[in-house]
Amino acid sequence: MVATAQIGPLPWAGSRQDGPVAAKLDAVTDLSELLERCKAGDGLAFREVFRNHRSDVARLVQRMTGRAASVDLEDLVQEVFLQVYRSIKDFRGQSRFSTWLYRVTVNVVLMHRRAARSRPVLQEAKDDSFGADARDLLDDQVARARRVAAFYRLLDRLSDKKRAVFVLHELEGLSPSEVAQVVSAPVLTVRTRLFYARRELLAMLRDEPALEFVARELRLKESGEPLAEREST
Amino acid sequence: MSLERRPEERVLDRLILEVREQSSPDLDWQRVEARLLSEPKPQRSSATPSLASRWRLPAAGLLAAAAIAGAVIAQRSKQELRVPVPVARISSEPLNGDRLPLGAHVTAGDRPVVVAHAGRARWTLEPHASAVVADSGELLTLRLESGALSAQVVPNPQPETFAVEVGGTRVAVHGTAFRVERTADRVLVSVSEGTVAVEPKGTRAPAFLLRRDSRGSFALDGRTGSVEGNASAVVNDGQAQSHREVASRLPSGAPQQVVHGTDRSGGAPTPVRSPAPPKPQLPLQPSISEIETGVSSALELMNGCFHDKTRSSGIRVSASTGLTLSITGDGAVRSVTFAPPLAPAVEDCAVNGLRNLTFAHSVEGVTFTRVFELSR
Repeated sequence: MVATAQIGPLPWAGSRQDGPVAAKLDAVTDLSELLERCKAGDGLAFREVFRNHRSDVARLVQRMTGRAASVDLEDLVQEVFLQVYRSIKDFRGQSRFSTWLYRVTVNVVLMHRRAARSRPVLQEAKDDSFGADARDLLDDQVARARRVAAFYRLLDRLSDKKRAVFVLHELEGLSPSEVAQVVSAPVLTVRTRLFYARRELLAMLRDEPALEFVARELRLKESGEPLAEREST
Repeated sequence: MSLERRPEERVLDRLILEVREQSSPDLDWQRVEARLLSEPKPQRSSATPSLASRWRLPAAGLLAAAAIAGAVIAQRSKQELRVPVPVARISSEPLNGDRLPLGAHVTAGDRPVVVAHAGRARWTLEPHASAVVADSGELLTLRLESGALSAQVVPNPQPETFAVEVGGTRVAVHGTAFRVERTADRVLVSVSEGTVAVEPKGTRAPAFLLRRDSRGSFALDGRTGSVEGNASAVVNDGQAQSHREVASRLPSGAPQQVVHGTDRSGGAPTPVRSPAPPKPQLPLQPSISEIETGVSSALELMNGCFHDKTRSSGIRVSASTGLTLSITGDGAVRSVTFAPPLAPAVEDCAVNGLRNLTFAHSVEGVTFTRVFELSR
């Protein structure tokens, strides 16, 4: 688990977004102005940046780590914004803020994974919650959750570099050139990593028996046949 | 080929689509925000009354975080100006010791803090320990304020290139691996490689000499102590008495207890007896920091082998492998396993080197696995 810590007290701690302050914040819509205020040490502006972007950061962290909402996920999101706080002054507006924020997020996640790898390897209990037989499926939501969990297990087997570009491009929808900015690599390298990431994932789908049910579920769903009946035949 | 792959392609695209459709995780944002933007606490505010600018006030908060997770605080001249040094809280990357200014205050939180001085030494501050860089010149000196630290010092022809001061005790080393712990009233020193001299601060003699696989417990003034293993008590004429010689005048069995001091007539300090402290007990397993120290050595060794035993041909070569080391109770390496295996030449080189590593003594020993990424 990631170590947790408070960064406070910060200069804006204690101020509330009520009354006149809230009204003032509502008037601030320009991101660049918000960032400038943030660089100048305006705590309210930093909090606004946090609130505006926390969902995007949490989603990317989740996709990079494959974790469900948890304290660990919260710790990582907190770490991302700690890094933002520390280095916002270095953001010079040469790229979009979202791109810069993506870069910070990816770096934090990769640092976390590297640190985790250097710790003793613990054999985690196998999560059977999504690995039960397909006949246990009761509704579409559960089936989807199982598929997503299986997909994250696949992603976790990719190298850090391939997973990062795959998540950014395929899941977050960034263009290869934007991904290149985030991961500080040439566009051609990004495209190559994307190609191999996809090829490896396809091989995993083909070779991993535990994931056969995913393909079976999708085939059955596309054919419109009830899963339970098909399983029983 | 494309026909065979088409089903997997469709499955993959469908999986991607389903993940993209997932909403952002629903975290406890109030909790995250509260932790991130915590309320000011009086004791933290009063810790840095002289910090006036708007961005220095957050430093007080970051200082608190650093105290928990491992941070470095700079100390300038007489006034202790505490500013946070960027520390990767969730990274195991060592701090660059060469960038620590004189007086830098290093405090470990729940995790050890590793500091590396390129080509000179690498020291690990154990959890909740703190130390100050007392001299960062040719002679690297740390002042251990609390807790324990272990260090690996690169052998150097210059004498005593690394020293740790604990109270009035000075622990100076040549090229060695050792551990120093400060308790309420004692300094505990154990040596796994090389030789360590323990002496009262400010005087270069007399001293205790601890060699490989020896340990000692000393008073904070460095004048009295007991030693075990391959250790010596050195008198001020510069001649070392072997531990066995000292022991011959003492009852056998108990750890050797020696007091260095000058008699009232002004004569030479001589070893005299004092009550023996309880024998230090071995831990069940080496501590995390002791293991990490060994891991650092293993990494350096493997990188060296990888560099020496692979051909570069102008391209970047990298490899990733899991190293499982089994350590016996006496700190020796029992077995070395690589999974996946490395190139035979690299693996042979690494195994030969790793078998010479020595870890801290413990009752049971330990087996652990680390994943290394090697590149050249």
